[in-house]
Amino acid sequence: MTSDLFTDYQHGGFFDEVFDPKGEIRPHYAPLIERLRALPSEELLHRARLRDTILRNLGITFAVYGEAQGIERTWPLDLIPRIIPADEWRHVERGLVQRVRALNCFLEDLYLGERAALREGVIPTWLVQSSAGFCREAYGIPVPHGAHCLVAGIDVVRDGRGVYRVLEDNLRTPSGVSYVLENRATLTRVLPLVFAQHRVRPVNHYGASLLSALRHLAPPSASDPPCVVVLTPGIYNSAYFEHAFLARQMGIELVEGRDLVVDDHIVFMRTTRGLSRVDVIYRRVDDEFLDPAVFRSDSVLGVPGLLGAARAGNVSLANAIGNGVADDKAIYAYVPALVRFYLGEEPILPNVDTYLLWEAEQRAAALSRLHELVVKPVDASGGYGIVIGPKATEEELAAVRKAIEAKPRGYIAQEVVALSRHPTLVDETPRGGGRIEGRHIDLRPFVLTGEKIEVLPGGLTRVALRKDSLVVNSSQGGGSKDTWVLAADGNGAPV
Amino acid sequence: MMLARHAEDLFWAGRYIERAEDTARLLDVTYHGLLESPLLDAESAWCELLELLYLDQAFEAKGLPVTASAVTEFLVLDPDNAGSIVRSVARARDNARNVRERISTELWEAINTLFLELRARDLRADLEREPYQLYGFVKSRCHAISGVSAETMSRDDGWRFFLLGRMLERAEMTCRLLSVRFGRSSAAIPSDVHYWIAVLKSVSAFEAYLRAHRAQIEPQDVLEFLLLSREFPRSVLFSLRASESELVRLGGEAAPSRPERLLGRLRADLEFMDIHELVESGLPVALDTLQHGILGVADAIERHFFRAAVPPELHVFESV
Repeated sequence: MTSDLFTDYQHGGFFDEVFDPKGEIRPHYAPLIERLRALPSEELLHRARLRDTILRNLGITFAVYGEAQGIERTWPLDLIPRIIPADEWRHVERGLVQRVRALNCFLEDLYLGERAALREGVIPTWLVQSSAGFCREAYGIPVPHGAHCLVAGIDVVRDGRGVYRVLEDNLRTPSGVSYVLENRATLTRVLPLVFAQHRVRPVNHYGASLLSALRHLAPPSASDPPCVVVLTPGIYNSAYFEHAFLARQMGIELVEGRDLVVDDHIVFMRTTRGLSRVDVIYRRVDDEFLDPAVFRSDSVLGVPGLLGAARAGNVSLANAIGNGVADDKAIYAYVPALVRFYLGEEPILPNVDTYLLWEAEQRAAALSRLHELVVKPVDASGGYGIVIGPKATEEELAAVRKAIEAKPRGYIAQEVVALSRHPTLVDETPRGGGRIEGRHIDLRPFVLTGEKIEVLPGGLTRVALRKDSLVVNSSQGGGSKDTWVLAADGNGAPV
Repeated sequence: MMLARHAEDLFWAGRYIERAEDTARLLDVTYHGLLESPLLDAESAWCELLELLYLDQAFEAKGLPVTASAVTEFLVLDPDNAGSIVRSVARARDNARNVRERISTELWEAINTLFLELRARDLRADLEREPYQLYGFVKSRCHAISGVSAETMSRDDGWRFFLLGRMLERAEMTCRLLSVRFGRSSAAIPSDVHYWIAVLKSVSAFEAYLRAHRAQIEPQDVLEFLLLSREFPRSVLFSLRASESELVRLGGEAAPSRPERLLGRLRADLEFMDIHELVESGLPVALDTLQHGILGVADAIERHFFRAAVPPELHVFESV
């Protein structure tokens, strides 16, 4: 039995969240690592089993498309939490608030304003118009307080030097926040003593914050308090668990399209006591399925007349319609410019360096070193369609080269980010015995636009569980970590 | 107040659970009753059971001989038979899954476990080797579902619709049972005491009846007991009264709704009825009227609560 699980730990030349390049433990991790070192590996495995039991009993699962029966899998949560010290978090938080402010301004300007950013050439008009997420139907639909991105999930990574960078924006129906809350609830039960040694900022107020932001979005005609509902595509959606979770956390109804009906541009839900007026809809249904009278007429998930009601100002939708244009991966490259244009500030969080492939020079430069870059389709999410140059075969590179040449607007190329790594418990089976190895991680914080812009402390840290993999999506074999933001005066010291 | 869709799912979850339980009990009693009384005509007993469940035509369409194994398989595990136990349980589970967030975790687990265990079993082999165990398993699991729901769910509207579904299904089932057993000319009513023991057992009423009437088993007493007992929880009157009290609570302070009025009249007619008058005035017609009354209440519930207040023109797409 090795009493020290970290003896053979290698940082492998990457930025490691716990160990500095000399192998010393970073101060904010000292109490945690000390505690873990004192635990025999059997004890850690015992805790891992306890964790699985808790997650299974809570029914915390996620669905994987394309897998038949038993599509629900238990959520993978690593036992070792990620810790972000207060000062570091303050920097990230300020950067996120700034970015979401600018994105809200851009969407308001584009759909309801003068389109100043386009007129002044900050961003090319053709690029906006050719975005799959650009939505003409959103023109003129009022968005109270300009809160287009009521919930934003901004993916942040740390590069080889530990610099926090924005990897992508998710402004349509970002998911994952339920796992943040459940990860926390689970870990406090599995490692109560470790937890008690730190002053970790809580996350369980998220439901209350979300509801208050949604109520703030209510149209002037709304009742007091406004009637807010969660709209889900239904039980077969991969994020249904989260929709139900959030409705429960907020204590409001979880409705499907068929529960709603529009009369004279007013939205009602059908209850056992007749029709009941709805003021705000937190919709987790994509734009194109929202209203079969406007978008896809074959959609049974939406509500005929919903857009008309929104346009008449009788109901508010969160997130607003048409946000997809702002999280298009090609538009992403312009977000720092949008920050400067709308806010007159320098971006606090930099982007990852990105090649705009429709610009001839940049395309040529990118194609010449494709094997060193990451290529992403501009309109996909969930890690689908990504080609990582250094790991791709010659055939894959040739195919993506051809695809780019055929449709330069369809892709971007980025420098490979050497994502930071974090010690992670692997090989947890009794036979595997459990080891701790470095695995790449990212972070999805959740940003709410209510009366003010608010960031949930921490967010969802995703882990690429496969050795050396850079893909953290849960649909692609990723796991997660509880993410601890330390209170300002805590810095790891016990209470 | 709750979403109409959720109320409908809970109502039907209740009905399907009750249906599965009642079907298991009827099968159990018929099967074992035949074993105990070799003089009874097996084929007519099975036919009567199918008729009682409204499944005689569906079974006939399969073109199978009326034998114990064909009928029991049809009623237990036939996936094409909408009234089979496995189908009823699967539909109850679908309904429960749609309202997963409104019911207690314990209730969901109880329903889901029954579904999964039925799927895992080799039901055909069970029917051959130990039908008693299988029927007992289904009945006790359905009882467990009732118990779990009573112990873990808030007495809100959701709970009331679940209970309403069970009670109304039960009233209808007991009524149908009486209809099949008594709904013929009085000369044709069997006098064999074993027949009536089986009837009582098929609604778990044998012991309760003995306590009320000692060992005097008379057809008319059996009828009165199953129709009008105020104490026995499977009598038609008891089930209707239970349904009514849930309906009244669902209505709140408002004036009685149409389902409430229909059910109130039906229950009052039954409650203050004289059993001798009933028999003299023609049992088949009276039972038929009662049964239609129950179906009418179910229909009114459907319209009043689940299709509430949506004029059809609202379904027409608006131009935007």
